Formats: sequence, structure tokens, C-alpha cells
Amino acid sequence: MISFLRVLKYAFQDMGRNLGLSLMTVFILILMLLSVNTLWGIDILTGQAVQSVKDQINISLYFVPDAEVSSVEEIKNYLTSFPEVVDLQIINKEEVLQSFKDRHFGNDEVLGALDELGENPFGSTMVIHTREPEDYKNIMTALDVPEYENLIETKSFEGNEGAVETLQNITNRIERIGFGLAFLFAVIAFMIIFNTIRVAINTQKTEIGIKRLVGASGWFIRGPFLVESFLFTLISVLITFGIVFLSLSYLDPYLAVVLPDGFALTNYYKSNILLLFGMQFISVLVLTVLSSLMAMRKQLQV
Amino acid sequence: MIKLHGVSKIYPTPLVALRDLNLHIKSGEFVSIIGQSGSGKTTMARLLIAEERPTKGIVEIGEWDISKINSYDIPFLRRQIGTIFQDFKLLPKKTIYENTAFALEVAGEKSARIKQVVDKVLDIVGLHTKKAHYPWQLSGGEQQRVAIARALVHKPKIMVADEPTGNLDSINTVEIMEILKRINEIGTTVLLFTHNREIVNQLKRRVITLENGEIIMDQEHGKYVL
Repeated sequence: MISFLRVLKYAFQDMGRNLGLSLMTVFILILMLLSVNTLWGIDILTGQAVQSVKDQINISLYFVPDAEVSSVEEIKNYLTSFPEVVDLQIINKEEVLQSFKDRHFGNDEVLGALDELGENPFGSTMVIHTREPEDYKNIMTALDVPEYENLIETKSFEGNEGAVETLQNITNRIERIGFGLAFLFAVIAFMIIFNTIRVAINTQKTEIGIKRLVGASGWFIRGPFLVESFLFTLISVLITFGIVFLSLSYLDPYLAVVLPDGFALTNYYKSNILLLFGMQFISVLVLTVLSSLMAMRKQLQV
Repeated sequence: MIKLHGVSKIYPTPLVALRDLNLHIKSGEFVSIIGQSGSGKTTMARLLIAEERPTKGIVEIGEWDISKINSYDIPFLRRQIGTIFQDFKLLPKKTIYENTAFALEVAGEKSARIKQVVDKVLDIVGLHTKKAHYPWQLSGGEQQRVAIARALVHKPKIMVADEPTGNLDSINTVEIMEILKRINEIGTTVLLFTHNREIVNQLKRRVITLENGEIIMDQEHGKYVL
């Protein structure tokens, strides 16, 4: 216990007396964490933006006016059996008519022409949402059978097909680039941190040698460095989160304009705070402790 | 107390630093090990504190064969041997008190006892009033006295002094030698590795002469003859 307390004392003493080096290490860690958080934030925003575009894409099937309700139900049952279909809504012909009337309220010419017809000229409409934009192709193929030809007047998806494909390509590319960037960044970050800590320990190489000469055990020498690694990690993660939250509270009003209703990055961070803090803390701690142990290994050999 | 049986140290270069040394140093002796640069003095000193392992032969301290000592036991050995060096080897970011106390702190001594012992040894080397100073605030002679104080805290049975006066002027050299003699008088075996002719001749104690890694002379009351 007394040795542990002394290790703690040495760690705080070393940090204080090597203040420049300590600040530099914390600064580099903060830069790395800020970059990781920025990349993370961009990934979330891209995901949200892509999702909101995806949500707006659907297939609308316009049935002929005399299509039987049972036939429409049959198609509905057929389509809901597809795992790709996440949502399916039917707007019956009365609702379609009402919607048309509402849209043209006050336009006597259009409403008069409708009255002259004497009957509802609209058929039911079916709106289908799938999990991924590329799933729409399967649904379109599935509907491309002769028995449905006489029931479905038009399918509204054809015009969107190109846009969906482009969107899908962009999404895939963003994901690949994001993954590549994250990997590249992790490697660079590891090298920077490893070297920063190695420089810190090399600076204290003579001291490590002296401590060994006066009979300090390996753990008595390693201990303060490991405690320092822990403290550097804790301080840098706390400061990074402070900066991230300050930045988000400033950015959120601007992001609210382009993001789906109710989504705010601050809220995302708040609701995932334990996961985000824990993951980043553990990753940086592993990185700093490993760097310390690797850098010290050479100096502690006899 | 200290025995070397057929000890050789060969570096991979290949360089033979020590060749088949056989030596017996009795408890309480004051032995000067002399030789020119490259004669193997520092290698021999490093073998005694397990900074190096012999390529061949056995190094015994007391009844302890330290030639194959494992890493875990090395700190325990070093707490029993006082060491001082030409470059003092003080921790620059620690005060004089902290430097001296460090040797006891690593051994897990209680704070109250550390204070008592450190105050006493700093008093012995005459630096009690400068215990809050940092090494860079002291002269070379004073720094070496701190190193001696640190070496003394464990009441070592052996003191290894590797060129302790190499960086000092003549006045400080005399002071350090006086302290080493006093340490020897209280029963500590002192091994002085040096190439300072004057101090060896003034001591009139046992002198072992090394040349090209071999013992070429071992005189009971010797002089510097190289």
C-alpha cells in the first residue's frame, strides 16, 4: 500500500516537474480524439442524411378504378411476405378522391369536370417502402407478372430508379471512404501517440537508469508511467468531450436545418455518452499503456 | 566477502573486457582497483552491481552467486551495495532530500524512518542545510556527497565507487576521500575504481592493478605504478 501511494506521488511529481512534456502529450491526445470525434460525427450525419433521402423514396402503385378491394388486398399480402418491405400503406379510392378534392379546393373548373363524370375516376393507391433503395428492383420485378397488369394502372417508381442507384452508389462509396479514412487515421494516431510517449520516456531514460541503480524494482519504475498514462488519458478524454459538447451546442441549430426532424448531434452524444466515453477512454488507455510498456521494455532490460 | 572465480567478460564486437579474473576481497578492506582507460575497471564495477553478467566465471557477494542473478533479485542486491559514480547519477527533478530518500522509498521503508535516516546521512555528508535544493544548484563536490548519502542510507556492507573524484577539483577530491575513509572505518568494504595516482598513493591500502582486462598486480599496501 505504501509503495502504491509512493508510485502515485511520483506520478504526480513527474507530471508537474515535466509540465511541458505532459502538456504536449495531453495536447496530442486531444487532437487525436477530436479528429476521431469529427470523423464519427460526419459518419452519423452522413448516415442520417442518406436515411432521410431513403425514407422519401417509395413505390406508388396506382390501381385501375374498377380494381376489386380483394385484389388489392391480395397484392398487399403478396408484397408484405417480402422481407425487404418495411412499410406498406393502402389509400382507398374514396380517400384518393377526397385528397384530390382537397388539393383542388376552390377550382370550380376541375371540380365541375369531376362532377360531370358522375362517378369516382380514381382507383386505390398503394405506397411501399423497402429497407434499402436497391430492394425496389426486386419489388418491381415481383410485380411484373401478367395477372397484375390489368389491375395496376401505373407504377411511379420508374422515374426514381436512376436516382436510387446513384444514391446507393454514393452511400456505398461514402461508407468505403469513411472506413478507409478511419483505419488510416487510427494507424497515424497510434504512431503519433507511440512516438510522443516514447520521446517522453527517452527523455527520462537517464532517470530510469538511476532508479534501477539505487534498487528500484521494475514495477516501481513502470508504476508512475502507467499512472501518468491513465491520467493523460482521463484528462484528454474529458477535455475532448468538453470541446465536443461546446462545438455541438453551437453547430446543432445549423444542422437542424438539414437533418430530419428532432435529430440533434448533442442528443445523440448525450444518449450514447457512456459508450462513446468508455470506448474512447479504453482505446486511448490501451494505446498509452502499450506505448509506455514498449518504450520502457528496452530501458529495463539488464 | 567478494570473490571472483575465473571471471571473463567478452562483448560481441568481439572485445575482451575482462580475462579470467580471480580475486578475493575480505570484509572491511579498502581496495583501490586501478588501471588506465579501457583496462576493465568499469566493467568490473558493473559486474559487482549486476549491471553486467560475466561471460564466464562466478561473481560471489557474501555467499550469493550473482553471476546468474535473475531480474527480480537485482533490486535487492543493489539495496545492499552502495554505489557512487563519476557523474553522480542524481535524479535532476528531485531535491537533495528526495534523491536521498528515494533509495529507501523503493525498498518500502516507512516515511518516519526515512526522515530519520535521511536527516542523519545528510548530516554526515554536511548537506543538511541544502536538502531542499535541486542537484543543479550544488557544486560537483556537493553532488557527489549527496550520492554518497544516498549510498549510505541502507547501511551497505560494500561501497563501490567508480571514479568518484573524476569530475572534482583537488579540494573536493580530498573531502570525498575523507568521507570514504570514514565509511571504511565503520566496517564497510570500499572498492575504489580510479586512475587518480595521488589518492591511491596517499591511501597506502591494497591496490589491484588491471591492464587489458587482466590483474597484473595485487599489492597489500600498494602504490600507483602504471
